Amino acid sequence: MTAPVLETEKLSMVFPNGNKALDAMDLTLHPGRALALVGESGSGKSTCAKLLTHMLRPTSGRILFQGSDVTGLSRRRELLEYRRVVQMVFQDPFAALNPAHTVAHHLARPLALHRPDLDRAGRGTEVRALLTQVELDADSLLHRFPHELSGGQRQRVNLARALAVNPSVIIADEPTSMLDVSIRLSVLDTLQRLKAERGIALLYITHDIATARYVAEETAVLFRGRVVESGPTAAVIDGPRHPYTRLLLSAVPDADRPFDTGGSLISRADAVRRLSEGPGNLVYVGPGHKARTVDERVAA
Amino acid sequence: MIAPLLQVRGLTVDYATPAGATRAVDGVSFDLGAGEVMGLAGESGSGKSTLAFAIARLHRPPAYITSGCVTLAGTDVLALTPKDLRRWRWREVSVVLQSAMNALNPVLRVSDQFRDMFRAHGITNRAEVAERSADLLRLVGISPDRLRDHPHQFSGGMRQRLVIAMALALKPKLVIMDEPTTALDVVVQREILEQVADLRRRLGFSVLFITHDLALMSQFCDRVGVMLQGRLVDLTTPAAIAPKDGKGGADHPYTRHLWDSIPPLHPATPVRARPDLVMP
Repeated sequence: MTAPVLETEKLSMVFPNGNKALDAMDLTLHPGRALALVGESGSGKSTCAKLLTHMLRPTSGRILFQGSDVTGLSRRRELLEYRRVVQMVFQDPFAALNPAHTVAHHLARPLALHRPDLDRAGRGTEVRALLTQVELDADSLLHRFPHELSGGQRQRVNLARALAVNPSVIIADEPTSMLDVSIRLSVLDTLQRLKAERGIALLYITHDIATARYVAEETAVLFRGRVVESGPTAAVIDGPRHPYTRLLLSAVPDADRPFDTGGSLISRADAVRRLSEGPGNLVYVGPGHKARTVDERVAA
Repeated sequence: MIAPLLQVRGLTVDYATPAGATRAVDGVSFDLGAGEVMGLAGESGSGKSTLAFAIARLHRPPAYITSGCVTLAGTDVLALTPKDLRRWRWREVSVVLQSAMNALNPVLRVSDQFRDMFRAHGITNRAEVAERSADLLRLVGISPDRLRDHPHQFSGGMRQRLVIAMALALKPKLVIMDEPTTALDVVVQREILEQVADLRRRLGFSVLFITHDLALMSQFCDRVGVMLQGRLVDLTTPAAIAPKDGKGGADHPYTRHLWDSIPPLHPATPVRARPDLVMP
């Protein structure tokens, strides 16, 4: 496997109110591969994204980019460069685009800031190339405004904007959760293809573990700021070892299991959460597959 | 067979636009039985929310009902006067919307919001309001001491439960839920819907459940309707649309398409995304 592009070591974030949002998280992102970070609301997924993009400073732990420590970057130049190579795609495709500007403007602006080698004509060509890469028709969309686009088209424009500055890492925070179910997979397909073609390391943040398989080679399950299970996506989904991962999988809508059959999930959910909060260490349970040990007595 | 609780016949809703009328709901007819849970699936813009709003008479200009009729428990809904409507809503039909944060007033304590709702419907006795508010919170599994809290002190799932509790306050016959769990994660979604399923069994209300997730709908509903471009194109049972061992599945091509766009957890063969839907 190639050398990791972005790594975290015991990354932790405790907010001033005492809320421990992230607790000693170790993650590794490789070029051309994706890691799915799965968890419920409040599990620390978005805090992790904010730390990795330097929107927040961790309270302890380190972030390594291509082997060098970038945790304490403070010089403007360094920060600018880091924010170019680590790009973000946000959940809300409506809020992430400026309603007063056209698609062309959204893509030309990052090029003007980060690609001084391009002149006006060069930027125009590049904008068209970017739209083609995200499977949008440049001729019909270039001069449209965000409100004239569908949610899926908007999210593709957001993706093109991230690609414009030629990043090494893309952090996609729930990129499809606000889109219609019927177009989610095709947007995920584009993400998956681009990451492979351009050798981008992708951190795919989601609460929908079912979509992880379509994008990510590896999956980490986060609960209350701690990774409870991680490993190859197929191993985690097909052979989950931690009770919280099992709970998450059982909550995925499945038409074969109507609500009236197979017992209630609620009755178990709180017990599993209590169990998952207890102490425990990540131990290997299979090749590259780790799960946190639990103390079964807590659940009783 | 007893008369259905809700009868919708040929309901048509247009939006007035500068370029003329745009038809959002086009001649929709269906029945909903007492105690039944019916799902309405469809993509953004298919008219499912417009239909639900029109049934509750919550639609506002530029939306206009241009034809059709809606009957709920013998009442001609489209003939209700504004004064009758205020009485009718909440007692007969209540609505739960997607964003619980927008449905709750951020600057009022939960107890005040329950009090306002009861007062608007003629229940003003303080002791009674306090007791019924506490009962409603217990109904959805939230401790009654939390009535003193403000909405921001609750998690997203708890806020949606507060809204559901409030919707059930006057024991309506029909609860319309417009994507009630879309903003929540899967575990919380499952917890809330199991609770709604349980409350429905105990209290006997009917549910019109709107979502774009066909798999979720099939788990939760007795019948499913599929909307496309304002028309109800398919009305069937969950069993009829779920393929068994790769065989069977929905007869209607659009329902089948919606079904196929759900990523299965354990696909039999590696699945690739299909191209975006070309509208038939």
